[in-house]
Amino acid sequence: MGEFVSGNYFRTFGLNPHAGRLLNDSDDVAGAPIVAIMSYDTWQSEYSGDPSIIGSTFWVNTKPVTIAGIAPKGFYGDRLSSTPPNFYLPIESMPVLANVGYVHDPEANWLYIFGRVKPGVALGPLQEKISAIVKQMKAPSKDFAGTRGKELLAKTHVVLTPGGSGIQEMKGQYASNLRLLMIISGLVLLIACANIANLLLVRGMARKTEMSVRTALGAMRRRIIGQLLTESLLLAFLSGLAGLAVAYAGTQMLLRMVFNGAERLPIQASPSPIVLGFALLLSLITGVVFGIAPAWIAAQAQPADALRSGTRATSSGASLLQKGLVVLQAALSLVLLVGAGLFSQNLSKLQHMDLKLEAKNRYIVHINPQAAGYMAPQLEAFYRTLEDRFHAIPGVKKVGLSTYTPMEDNNWGNGLQVQGQPAHVVGASFVKTNPEYFDSVGTRLIAGRGFTTQDTAGAPTVTIINRTLSKQFFKDANPLGHHIGFPESPGDYEIVGVVEDTVYQSVRWTDHGMYFVPMMQRPLSSKGPAEKDEGLYAGAIVLQTERPMDNIESLTRRTLASINPNLSVVKFQTFDAQIADQFTDDKTIARLTMLFGGLALLLASVGLYGVTSYTVARRTSEIGIRMALGAERSSVVTMILRSAMLQAGIGLAIGIPVALFCVRYVKSQLYNITNVDASVMTIAVMTLAVAAGLAGLIPARRAASTDPAQALRME
Amino acid sequence: MIELKNLERSFRAGHEELWVLRRIALTIREGEFLTIMGPSGAGKSSLLNVLAMLDDQWRGEFFFEDLPVHAMNRKQRSDLARRRIGMVFQSYHLLDDLTVAENLDLPLTYKNIPSKERQALVADTLDRFQIVGKKDLFPSQLSGGQQQLVGIARAVIHKPSLLLADEPTGNLHSAQAREIMELFRQLNAEGTTIVQVTHSETNAEYGSRTIELRDGWIHLDTANPPA
Repeated sequence: MGEFVSGNYFRTFGLNPHAGRLLNDSDDVAGAPIVAIMSYDTWQSEYSGDPSIIGSTFWVNTKPVTIAGIAPKGFYGDRLSSTPPNFYLPIESMPVLANVGYVHDPEANWLYIFGRVKPGVALGPLQEKISAIVKQMKAPSKDFAGTRGKELLAKTHVVLTPGGSGIQEMKGQYASNLRLLMIISGLVLLIACANIANLLLVRGMARKTEMSVRTALGAMRRRIIGQLLTESLLLAFLSGLAGLAVAYAGTQMLLRMVFNGAERLPIQASPSPIVLGFALLLSLITGVVFGIAPAWIAAQAQPADALRSGTRATSSGASLLQKGLVVLQAALSLVLLVGAGLFSQNLSKLQHMDLKLEAKNRYIVHINPQAAGYMAPQLEAFYRTLEDRFHAIPGVKKVGLSTYTPMEDNNWGNGLQVQGQPAHVVGASFVKTNPEYFDSVGTRLIAGRGFTTQDTAGAPTVTIINRTLSKQFFKDANPLGHHIGFPESPGDYEIVGVVEDTVYQSVRWTDHGMYFVPMMQRPLSSKGPAEKDEGLYAGAIVLQTERPMDNIESLTRRTLASINPNLSVVKFQTFDAQIADQFTDDKTIARLTMLFGGLALLLASVGLYGVTSYTVARRTSEIGIRMALGAERSSVVTMILRSAMLQAGIGLAIGIPVALFCVRYVKSQLYNITNVDASVMTIAVMTLAVAAGLAGLIPARRAASTDPAQALRME
Repeated sequence: MIELKNLERSFRAGHEELWVLRRIALTIREGEFLTIMGPSGAGKSSLLNVLAMLDDQWRGEFFFEDLPVHAMNRKQRSDLARRRIGMVFQSYHLLDDLTVAENLDLPLTYKNIPSKERQALVADTLDRFQIVGKKDLFPSQLSGGQQQLVGIARAVIHKPSLLLADEPTGNLHSAQAREIMELFRQLNAEGTTIVQVTHSETNAEYGSRTIELRDGWIHLDTANPPA
């Protein structure tokens, strides 16, 4: 895939070529010889870094293009994408290569703009200046005509945002998910910190005698705290270094998870000074914050107490602080487990939604007739040929053609009005289709008729609307025979049929008005020449076959090539795969929340195990006494397990309301889920309870195997 | 009451085997007050642990009231010990976070005795040992002698037929030690068989029979003096 960019694109980013040269202004001029820049990854993976690629000619959409150079290593374009561009081509080559007419149309909005601010220029005044230019540019546009248009033009403004991490729109799209992941990571960090604090506490208590000796030998409290803090910091620093190694291995795993199925990862997970600094700083802060309390406790050692031999008292188990930290971990883990449960439930709900379409034995073939050189007047005949040739393939049942298909994240829309109802304008999406399209995607006709071969360019303009649009305009009345169209020409199309509400752009976008128009028909009011009408080009063929056909992709390629050798397959997928692609983000979030939930559970379990083990070790003599007094092994197991489960239970008691409260912060990312389902809560609670049980059972069993004679001898 | 035949006990110390009890043959009759003496490391406490059924790593034969302990599994031994044996420790071994009454109640809770019955037993014992006023105190609030008094009360609350005491006065001063030994004498007079381990000749005099261990062997038994 290629991206069209301006001649100063690479210069704006301050990039240098890896080999050859990058684009310059003279390349981006109409009529200039067409050149392209190849991405470093494509050069390496497809051509093994062959230097002769530079200067060689490639054929792009039947036109010769010279490779002028290789983009720098690690440059993946101006946005985060699982399919970063393989080639960068000048914008001015678009009309030739892509056969599109909107490049110089001031009414069309299709470009992203990056700028480079001169040193010392303040963003505020610059924003004002650019806003004024945009207003000036847009003033003659028909979009801003009339009183309403002028009001809108007055409000039109530009917002400049830092471009260092890509296009703002993309960041905005993923912002909520990224924020959620940051919060989840923070919670996991908190659990890990609680664990570290517990370990340091245990260490501090175990070294009480050592500290007592030091105190008895004259060490000042300040000196002891200083020593323990230094040890904590050193430990934190070394842990931070070890953590970095784990982090880089983990980053690759996370990237593979996020860009699942991508051939190449569009991010270089190489060490950056900022990340290194942040990680080390965080580990040092953790060391100081969580090292202070244990250091203070150890420094409180009373030499006389600790050095007295043959203590007659039994040692108590873990301190309240230690138990409190375990409770905190359990509570936070539950919150994360509930989160993981909610996002998994969300994914399952979305995947099992009735999309009002049929995906079985359906294949989506994306094509670009424009790029193959087809002009608008040739299209009607071309479409008939396509339909005939594909029908000639044995096993092919229906051949649908459309501008785009359901669940491919595409949307063409405009305002609509019913003729005779001027006050009621509704936003709706539209798709242009051929007669067999509805059958091919499995959309059911519920009233009127479908399109026929008679609905040609010259025939009366007709439309089929979906149930939602019918309700929006006509409530329960019969819509057939009414006319709808753009607000300035509401009589554009006569409604001849009504179909079910098939989900198009996203499963989350339901109850959305849609209308369908025959492939070659244009609104009555359209004034531009048909030759320049981009809307006449089909973007996809939908094939319905009688049975699963393994060879359908090769048959499709062969059929298209037999029609026109330049007509290539842009993308071939089963309908099922196309639908599954729409759940990628939801799957990623579900996987990541489960990963973090699992990690939190593991940390909390390790924490509980640690504290319980410590308790058992401290209470060895007590356990010995109890056993000497007749306690059975089972009663010892129960006693230790009860204590562990009590901590987990208090954690649950705190975690459950917190999890219920936190749902409000993630419900915007969930589909029709506003509360924690009883099943999700039960599974989360049971998971934590089982993990806590196992974490407690191991030391409990160890406690039960205490040899009372030996335990008493230790006293 | 107790018959030990050819009983031996050893510990592994690296590649070596360290013997602590060698071919012990000992009969303890019901109502006896036996004192085990000997230097440190002679095997006194090891023998007491065997008698208490806290240790089951020994070899040989051990009959308790004609029941073959050597043929019992660990659970059966625990059950028997729980019902028939009480134990007093040198370090008292009271649980610090339990009150005096709760410490007394502790062995009863392991015998599945109903709560009301347990309360009655605890009340009787507090009364018998004249520590009613101390029932809500924690061990750290008691003197050493008082703690050992509670320790003995706890050991006999379930009316064991055998009371084992490991250096019961080792941590007490002489006046307290005397009181404790008088208590043992009284319990023995009431029918409880007592086996005590002690270094003190004075304490040994409270007993009816003394055996002396040396390097794990029975060196002297006043019931069977050397010819």
